[in-house]
Amino acid sequence: MTAIDRPAPEPAGTGQGATADLGAQIRLVARGDAAAFDAVYDLLAASVFGIVIRVIRDPAQSEEVTQDVLLEVWRTASKFDAERGSATAWVMTMAHRRAVDRVRSVQKESERERRTAAADIPYDEVAEAVESSLERERVRRCLGSLTELQRESVTLAYYGGYTYGQVASLLGVPTGTVKTRMRDALIRLRDCLGVAG
Amino acid sequence: MKLRGNQTNGREPHTLAGAYAMDAISEPDRASFERHLAGCEECAQEIAGLREATARLATATAVPPPSGLKERVIAAAALTRQQPPPAAEASAEAPARVPGIVPWFRALALPRRMALAAAGLAAVAVLAVAVAFGVANGSMRDQLSAAQASSQQVAAVLTAHDATMMTGAVAGGGTATIVMSHAMHALVFTAAGLRALPASRGYELWLIGPAGDRPVSMLIPGGHDMTGPVVASGLRAGDRLALTAEPIGGATRPTAPMMLDVLL
Repeated sequence: MTAIDRPAPEPAGTGQGATADLGAQIRLVARGDAAAFDAVYDLLAASVFGIVIRVIRDPAQSEEVTQDVLLEVWRTASKFDAERGSATAWVMTMAHRRAVDRVRSVQKESERERRTAAADIPYDEVAEAVESSLERERVRRCLGSLTELQRESVTLAYYGGYTYGQVASLLGVPTGTVKTRMRDALIRLRDCLGVAG
Repeated sequence: MKLRGNQTNGREPHTLAGAYAMDAISEPDRASFERHLAGCEECAQEIAGLREATARLATATAVPPPSGLKERVIAAAALTRQQPPPAAEASAEAPARVPGIVPWFRALALPRRMALAAAGLAAVAVLAVAVAFGVANGSMRDQLSAAQASSQQVAAVLTAHDATMMTGAVAGGGTATIVMSHAMHALVFTAAGLRALPASRGYELWLIGPAGDRPVSMLIPGGHDMTGPVVASGLRAGDRLALTAEPIGGATRPTAPMMLDVLL
C-alpha cells in the first residue's frame, strides 16, 4: 500500500528511494569515498539538523551536535549493517541519541525553559512542521491516528527528549502506563507508516 | 507482529522497548535493557522495527542546516580516521584492506616518482593530528580553530572537489602526506617521523619547475613527531614538490640533496 502513492523521490532523505540509495552511499563512505560522503550529507543533513534542533532548541549547540553526528557517520560507516535496519534509521538513531545526551548533560541549567517549551510544543508544532510534503503529511496523519495519551507520550519523549519517567509525571499517569503506551504507539506508527518491522 | 518476548524474573523488560527506541530511558534502565536485548534476538528485531518508525518522526522535522556546516563537516571528516570494519571471517588471514585511503588512491593518477606507502592508513591520522597539533583535546571545531592561521586554506584544499591524497616515504626517514587540488593549484603538505636535524638546520619545502625554484616554507615541528600543515599554492604545470634540509633560516634555492621529489 505504501510504495505506490509516491510519485517521485523526495528531497532530504525522506523518500524510500533515497533511503535505498543512502545505504549504498554509506557503504562507499565506509571505504573512505569522499564524494559519497558529500552525497550522504546532502541526503541527511537536513533531517539530522531538524531532529537535533527540535530536541535541543539552541541553534549553536544543535549545529555542533549535527556536525558530531555527521562525523560519526563518516567515522563509523563500516559499522552500518543493512540487515539490522535502514541507513536512515541508523543515522537518525545516532542523531536523536546525541541530541538527548546533550540535553540531559545540561539538564540542570535549562530544565525550566525546556519544560515550558516542550510542554507547549507537542502536537501543534509537529503538525506545523510536518505539513509540507507527502511524507510529512503521512507522518502527521499517523500521529493523528494515535490516542491522545499515545501521541503525547511519543512527542514528549521523542521531540521533547524526556525519559518515560519524566513523561509520566508531566502527564500525571503511572510509569507502567507510559511505557506501554510508548511501545503501543510506536508499533502503531510503524504499521501506519508501512516501514519494515 | 512479534509482541511477546522473554520474560525475566516475572518482569517484562520488553515493555521498555518503546521507551528504549525513543531514548526515553535513564542510563541504568538503558543498561539493563541492553543486557536483555543481547540475549533476545526477537527483541532486537522489534527495536529495529520501532526505530524505522522513530526515524520517520525525525525526517519529518527536516530543517535546512546552517550554511557553511557542510564545508566544516567535510573538512573535519577529511581529518578524521575512520573505524575499521569487523574483519571478514573468511579472509581473516588476508592483508588488511585500507578503508580510508584506497578510493583516494584509485582515483589518483599516481605520480611515478613517489613511492606509495602501504602505510597510507596512517596518512589521514597524520594529517589530522598535524592540523590540530598543539591541541590536547576538545572537539574538532576547537582543534580547527586552534590551527586557524592556515586552517581555512587547508580546509579549502581538503574539501576541493578534486582533492586527491598521496603519501610517500621521505629519504632518511619519515612519511610525507600530500593532499592536492589541481583545480585550486594548491596542496597541503604534512610529514611525520622525519629524522631529527641539528638545531642549526630545518626542513624546507620547495616547488621546482619550469618557472624556477620557489621556496614554499620551512616546516614547523608540531606535536606527535609531525610537522604542521603547509599550504603550497600557485602550482604550475610541470612543478615538482621537493624537501631538503637547509640552514634554519631557510635558503633561497635548494642546496642539499632532495629527500622527497614528487612530480605533481
